[in-house]
Amino acid sequence: MIESNAVSSPAGAPAVEVRGLSHAFDAPGGGLAVLSAVDLAIAPGEFVSLVGPSGCGKTTLLRAVAGLLAPSTGGVEVLGGTPRQAQRAHAYGLVAQDPGLLPWRSVHDNVRLGLELTGRQADVPALLGRVGLGGFERYRPGELSGGMRQRAALARALVHGPRLLLMDEPFGALDELSREAMRVELLRLWEAERITVLFVTHAVREAVLLSDRVVVMSPRPGRIVADIPVPLARPRSEASEDTPEFLALVARVRASLHAAHGSARAASTPGDAL
Amino acid sequence: MVVVPPLVVAVVLLAAWEAWVRLREVRAYILPPPSAVFEALRDDPTRYLEALGETLVSAVGGLVVASVIAFALAVVMAHSRVLERALYPPALLVKVTPIVAVYPLLLIWFGFGVWPRIAVAALITFFPMLVNAVVGLRAIDPRALDVMRVLDASRAQIFWRLRLPSSLPYVFAALRISVPLSLIGAVVAEFLSGSAGMGQLILQANGAFDTPTLFGAIFVLAAAGIGVTALVSYVESRVLDWHAASTAG
Repeated sequence: MIESNAVSSPAGAPAVEVRGLSHAFDAPGGGLAVLSAVDLAIAPGEFVSLVGPSGCGKTTLLRAVAGLLAPSTGGVEVLGGTPRQAQRAHAYGLVAQDPGLLPWRSVHDNVRLGLELTGRQADVPALLGRVGLGGFERYRPGELSGGMRQRAALARALVHGPRLLLMDEPFGALDELSREAMRVELLRLWEAERITVLFVTHAVREAVLLSDRVVVMSPRPGRIVADIPVPLARPRSEASEDTPEFLALVARVRASLHAAHGSARAASTPGDAL
Repeated sequence: MVVVPPLVVAVVLLAAWEAWVRLREVRAYILPPPSAVFEALRDDPTRYLEALGETLVSAVGGLVVASVIAFALAVVMAHSRVLERALYPPALLVKVTPIVAVYPLLLIWFGFGVWPRIAVAALITFFPMLVNAVVGLRAIDPRALDVMRVLDASRAQIFWRLRLPSSLPYVFAALRISVPLSLIGAVVAEFLSGSAGMGQLILQANGAFDTPTLFGAIFVLAAAGIGVTALVSYVESRVLDWHAASTAG
C-alpha cells in the first residue's frame, strides 16, 4: 500500500528465521517451559499459520518474532536483522485477539496512530473503505461491534505498509458469522498485497483456507510436529472450503494435532500408552 | 428531571424545620428558622461572598498545587517500581499525619498569609491524587502497548498517546474525592488562623451567638461544595465522553 523500506534482506533469504528457540517463564518451583527447540523459516510473501492446542506457546513464539519477548535460548532473525532492528524499521504490523484500540480516539485516528509513530503517509479513509469500515471514520471503538473493531485493528496494523504482519488469533473473540466474513476479507486483502504473514490460530479450517503452509505444534512445551504445505489454488474463497483437497488437508492437520496430543500424553504418563 | 425529587425533599425539610421552630418557640441562637437564615444571607451577601472567595482561593489553590505535584510524582512512580517503593512511605506519612498538628510548623514556614492555608488544602488532597494517578498511569491496555512497541514507539510517545489518556478516568475520580476535602482543609486552616474566609466568619458568628449567620455560612459552604463538584463532573463528562461508551460496550 505504501513503499516498503528499510531492512534489506538478500534475495531468497527468509523473511523470518527462528533457530533453536526455547523459552521458559519464571514459575514457582522452577521455570515453566513453553517452547522447546523450535526451528521455523518463513519466505518473503508467504502466509504461514501456527496451529496448536491452547497453552502450546504459539503466542510466545509470535511475541518472540515481534521482539516483544526475549527467548531463553535460540535466535530470531527478521528480514535479515534482529527483531529490534525490524521494529526500528517499522517492518511489523500486529493484530491480537483483543483489538487494543484507543477508546478515546475515533476509528480514523486509531488507524492514524501507525502513521504518527512511523512518520509515513497513507490514505486512511481509503484503507478503511478496503477493510469494510467506509463511513465509520468518526465512530469511537465503543460504538462498534466486535467484528468492526477487529477490522479497525487490521487497518491500524496495515496503514504504515508493514513487511511482516503478525496476527495472534485475530478472529478468536468473534462470533461465527463475523469470523467467516473476516476470513474472506483477509484473504482478499492478502491476495492483493502478498506481504509476509505469521498467523496464530487454533481453528484448523481457518488455517488451511488462508495459508500457504500450516505449522502444527505439540502441547506445552511446544515443538513443531508437522509442517504441511497447502497447495490449494489462489485466489481462494469460501467455495474453496468445499473442495475434496481442502477437506483432505484439514483432515491431515487434525491428524497431526491429535498425534502430537497423544504422544505428549504418552510421554508424560507412560502407563496410558499401553 | 433528576433535580426535582431532591428539590422536593429539600423544600419539605425546610418547611418542617420552619414549622418546628415556630410551633415549639425554639430560641434563635439555638436553632434559627430557615427564614431567619435566608434573611441573614440577604442582609449582607457580600460578607459571605468575600469570605467564600478567600476560602475558595485556599481550597482550589491547594487542590491545584497538590494535583500538579502528585501527578508529577505519579509519573515517576508509574515508570519505576523501585521509585514507587521508595516514595510510597513518605507519601503515606503525609496522609496519616494529622494536619492540625503540622499547622504551627506551616505558619513558621509560610507566614500568616494565604500560603499556610493553601498548604493545608494541598496536604489533605495530595494522597488521593497520587494513588489514583499511579493506578491510572499503569492501567493501560497491554494490547495497545504491544502495538506501539512493535512500531518502536518512544517512552514519550507511549506516555502522551497511551498512559496519560488512560489515567484520566482515575484522575477525575481523585478530583471528585479531593474537592470536598480541599474545602475541609481550607476551613480548618481558617479556624486555626482565625484570619480569613468562611472559617473566620463562622468563628465570629459563633462568638456573637449569631446562629443565623453561622447557618448562612454553612449553607454557602455546602452550595460551594456542590458547585465545584458539579463543575468537575461537567468537565469530566466533556473530557471523558469516550469513557462511558467504552466501559459500557
